[in-house]
Amino acid sequence: MNLPLTDPTLLAQDIPDALTARLRSSGPAVCIRFSHAGDLLASGTAKGTIAIFDLETNGVARKLKGHTAGRTVQSLSWEHSGRYLLSSSIDWKVILWDLKDGSRVRAVSLGAPVYIAALHPRNHLQCVAALYEYRPVLVDLSAGSKVVQHALPNLPKRAPHELDAHPDKADAKHFTTVAAFTPSGAHVITGTTKGWLNVICTATRETIYSTRLCSKPILLIRLSTSGRDLLVNASDTIIRTIKLPDLSSPTLQPDSINLAVEHKFQDVVNRLSWNHVAFSSSADYVMASTLMNHDIYIWERGHGSLVKILEGPKEELGAVEWHPTRPCVAATGVESGRIYLWGVHTPQRWSALAPDFAEVEENVEYVEMEDEFDIHPEAELIKRRLDQEDEEVDVLTVDEEQLEREGAMRRGLGVEIKTAADEGGADGGKKGAVPAVSPFRMPVLLDINESDSEDEIVAIGTGQFRRKSTAREDAGFGDEDVHGEEHVGSKRRRGD
Amino acid sequence: MSITAIPERPGRSPKRKRSEDSPNGGIPQYDGATDGAALQYAYDEEMPSELQSPEEQELDGAPAKKQKVERPTRLNYVPYMTLRGHKRGVAAVKFSPDGRWIASCSADATIKIWDSKTGALAHTLEGHLAGISTIAWSPDSKVLASGSDDKIIRLWDISTGKCTAAPLIGHHNYVYSLAFSPKGNMLVSGSYDEAVFLWDVRTARIMRSLPAHSDPVSGVDFVRDGTLVASCSSDGLIRIWDTSTGQCLKTLVHEDNAPVTSVRFSPNGRFVLAATLDSCVRLWNYVEGRVVKTYQGHKNEKFSISTAFGTYGVEDDKPAEVDGDEEEQKRDWAFAACGSEDGRTVLWDVSSKEILQELKGHDGVVLSVDVGLEDQTIITCGNDKTIKMWKRQPLPVTNGTNGTNGTNGNHEPSATEPTAGTLDEG
Repeated sequence: MNLPLTDPTLLAQDIPDALTARLRSSGPAVCIRFSHAGDLLASGTAKGTIAIFDLETNGVARKLKGHTAGRTVQSLSWEHSGRYLLSSSIDWKVILWDLKDGSRVRAVSLGAPVYIAALHPRNHLQCVAALYEYRPVLVDLSAGSKVVQHALPNLPKRAPHELDAHPDKADAKHFTTVAAFTPSGAHVITGTTKGWLNVICTATRETIYSTRLCSKPILLIRLSTSGRDLLVNASDTIIRTIKLPDLSSPTLQPDSINLAVEHKFQDVVNRLSWNHVAFSSSADYVMASTLMNHDIYIWERGHGSLVKILEGPKEELGAVEWHPTRPCVAATGVESGRIYLWGVHTPQRWSALAPDFAEVEENVEYVEMEDEFDIHPEAELIKRRLDQEDEEVDVLTVDEEQLEREGAMRRGLGVEIKTAADEGGADGGKKGAVPAVSPFRMPVLLDINESDSEDEIVAIGTGQFRRKSTAREDAGFGDEDVHGEEHVGSKRRRGD
Repeated sequence: MSITAIPERPGRSPKRKRSEDSPNGGIPQYDGATDGAALQYAYDEEMPSELQSPEEQELDGAPAKKQKVERPTRLNYVPYMTLRGHKRGVAAVKFSPDGRWIASCSADATIKIWDSKTGALAHTLEGHLAGISTIAWSPDSKVLASGSDDKIIRLWDISTGKCTAAPLIGHHNYVYSLAFSPKGNMLVSGSYDEAVFLWDVRTARIMRSLPAHSDPVSGVDFVRDGTLVASCSSDGLIRIWDTSTGQCLKTLVHEDNAPVTSVRFSPNGRFVLAATLDSCVRLWNYVEGRVVKTYQGHKNEKFSISTAFGTYGVEDDKPAEVDGDEEEQKRDWAFAACGSEDGRTVLWDVSSKEILQELKGHDGVVLSVDVGLEDQTIITCGNDKTIKMWKRQPLPVTNGTNGTNGTNGNHEPSATEPTAGTLDEG
């Protein structure tokens, strides 16, 4: 609700420019993800813990422990309402967390180290995972104990005339490195070690379209929130943006899909390669962090030109993410493991403190009005003032945009809006919004050290158990690192 | 309080003179034959056709059309219970967000938690070293924050009745006012030391210190989405601050510069209600920076009296016959409530500024008012060491008097004598 009061020139600024915060908790951060509402930042650490930061206070909201200690958490994926989080690690496991109480809803071992795991956008009990040197899987977690894994093809769909030309042995080392859902969840887009991009239909689990982008492995793919833009980072130091057709449209013909590359971003001068790439919130900008360099490059997609280079920390940056709604960027430092946040610098407007004064560019000669300093009888002034208070005042209705911003109405996901509008046409008030779903509120834990989600009792011998002591992790922002884990508490941490 | 988007509301010209004596002051046609009570609440068959009752609509077979529902011009809250136990004046009283508890704080350095249905005392929270001026509930109703003259803010766990380990220390003088953010992760406090502090609740540390005013800060409030904080002070200014950057976005000042004693955001967050020591309560549109309503009729010249918003609708004693659509629009008018130094609590309709009711019963200044979840209960507290609960009742029906105006039944329901069946102990 601060938007009507903010300076309009500041509102127009959509690229961050100043470093605003440094966060660190529970170990060096390796991967970060903003929640869809934009109020929480989840960070997976090299130690196997996940720390969730509350961006309003820049403090730790929750710590999730469950992955094998010492195994890096490779990827995180939020569920739309912010209640569930999927994390994957090189310990072969994929864990679905419920943030209401920090418990593990499901923990599945997939048989190979997991590169990346993503939750289905509509169903938090389904996810896709790309495994190291193995085929990708579509995991169905719905049934409690029995987890069903469906294999997805590694190999691209080739035109019949090409099939003979490519003998099997070239396909042997062809693995999928990244996988992502489209916003409707009906398709999965994967990238492989040979530079192919495959579009796989979730229902049939077959590749419906493939295209070769380059000859090097694909490192990362990202979709914009609208699902119409695809960002690809490959080992050949070129970042490609591709415009996707509307994959959820029923009239789509798989044979008629043509994914053409829209822009190619690369640094021809220094030949920098890119660690990580991301879209901006509206997909107008593409940003990337550089290998062996301290900067973040931001390009604009209209012309494909470089618009900004963000600098700040004197270290190489790993993962970069853009905030879903605000002009804010988060990046992890590779050496220190800190998370850096950039935002827009807002200077204080002095006219806000003294309402009678306005800020002017230069001196203005003031000419007072004829009746400005007339003295009127007190009673008349009061009566005039009270007479001007005749309008109707509405202190109760909250307009729908505000409710949306607060998350009370779930408007996303396209299809639902249309059907509701058709039904509720007569009642003008409902305007096609889905019925209000109460938003998930992250519980506020007053003692963060006790929010460990790992088992408390550890076996130390046959029939002997010990309560695991809650080791004081280094927490907080800007504090110098305390190597707390080495000399406090549980000495015998069996990796479990 | 209803937060649904309502497409249309019956608009009434506020310029109409509505004399409190005439029982049918709201009807366009002043028809002597109609009796007061029937017009306002009891939907009988003999209703004049200008007012379409739900039953008549169904009989007519008319399609579901927005009908003009008359806004009641009087409310009838009657005293229901008195909660005694504090040894000195009670500074503030608040309902918990889930409606189960009532918390009250007092100059005797204790906080008492009462059950809102039975009035039974559940906990007495002790730990402060001096009188407590302000309390605030966290949105999950599990934690209560209290600010005291000993410069410390304490957080209490309601289920156990114990204080949490880390008190919030930082202010240099009395803590005067507190508010939780709607997510429960931040707390804002205003103090006699002229500063406003934003606290991170999880770590019990100060996030931001806002150099807010040049006189003691008397009131603070958070807006419904947590992005703005309002603060008011004895220097007559109301300032609106941005939570994320800590910068002042707006200053509201009235010509007379009267000390402002409390500030509260409206339920939709677009207006700010401020009580000042010139016996006025003003509703400001803070985006435009002007006063849109002034409420008068109470006395406030010395004490810090806080205000509250509530909603009310038409009392319908036959809820079963009401159309499903109407159920949602049951309460769509708002009232503002403020205590007064002569023991009354005054309720004004927000739009028309008329006094809907004056609750009498306290002995001495009424320091704080709060309105319950379903808006059928009001609690007030004051210097007489008691807390009073008031429940809404339908207006007393006048017995068939035609044409005569000013039947006492409609006038100022005398809140001093309890109507039959209400309790008076707690």
